[in-house]
Amino acid sequence: MISRDEVLAVIYAAMESLNEELDEGSKIAVAADTKLFGADAVIDSLSLVSIIIDVESGASDAFGFPVVLTDDRAINEPVSPFTSPDALADYMLILAAENE
Amino acid sequence: MGHSITLRGNYVDLRPLEEADAEMTLRWRLSQRARMLTSGAATVEEQAAWIRSRPASEYNWVIALKDGTPVGMLSLIGVNEVMRHAETARFLIGEEDKVKGVPAAVEAMKLLYEYAFDTLKLARLYGNVASGNSLMVKWQIYLGMKQEGRMRDHYIFDGAFQDAIILGLLESEYRNESLPRMKALIDMARKADNVPEGVRV
Repeated sequence: MISRDEVLAVIYAAMESLNEELDEGSKIAVAADTKLFGADAVIDSLSLVSIIIDVESGASDAFGFPVVLTDDRAINEPVSPFTSPDALADYMLILAAENE
Repeated sequence: MGHSITLRGNYVDLRPLEEADAEMTLRWRLSQRARMLTSGAATVEEQAAWIRSRPASEYNWVIALKDGTPVGMLSLIGVNEVMRHAETARFLIGEEDKVKGVPAAVEAMKLLYEYAFDTLKLARLYGNVASGNSLMVKWQIYLGMKQEGRMRDHYIFDGAFQDAIILGLLESEYRNESLPRMKALIDMARKADNVPEGVRV
């Protein structure tokens, strides 16, 4: 069974990878409540796409099933998975449970 | 002189680049964020002259939020309606803080793609990105562009050579890959903001 900590580790790795690309003043806090998209978000859509790519790739490698974060399923979630790493972890745990 | 086409989205509009934008766009072009774009004008007068001299085969837009705030620029150049291809170019978000949490870049590119494929009936778009601009390369590929080649040591930025990554997008790839992903990202931003479908922000 995939744990929340394992999922968050994948998300945090994607955020750290993004930070390597950003200028010093633009780096983001790697934390569960960092706002990723919507009002008060700390990144733009270029950076969000970088996180999506790295999370999809990292999760597929780590968990052994394909993870797609920009499909109809994700759009129709009651809470956007991209609100924060916390929300994204919740969504990925649902996907993981369905694949077990 | 430039075109008069304005393209309207839910989060941003693309409005024609005007001579009055010279100071603002020069500031963007000289910023750290634009360090991996090819260099151009050095003064406001040169930038204004450059804007005045844009040929009819180019569409140069300013990306503006719905309240009119300019946040970036984007161009479709080398439009060849016989060969049905054109180049996407000069894509730059100049006001990074104003687009955090907003799918401005995604919607701007979606508006350009729609115009190119649906209105101009083009069959192919292409462009190139400096290899060091890895965020942009990832972004373009995620949104459907395919890497078609690589020009070695094509650019010099900060005294160092960089390759140019050649990217291309066919109409079928736009419809099957780019459009669904762009719509998904825009819809997710809408959901994150709790904005109902059909409501402009």
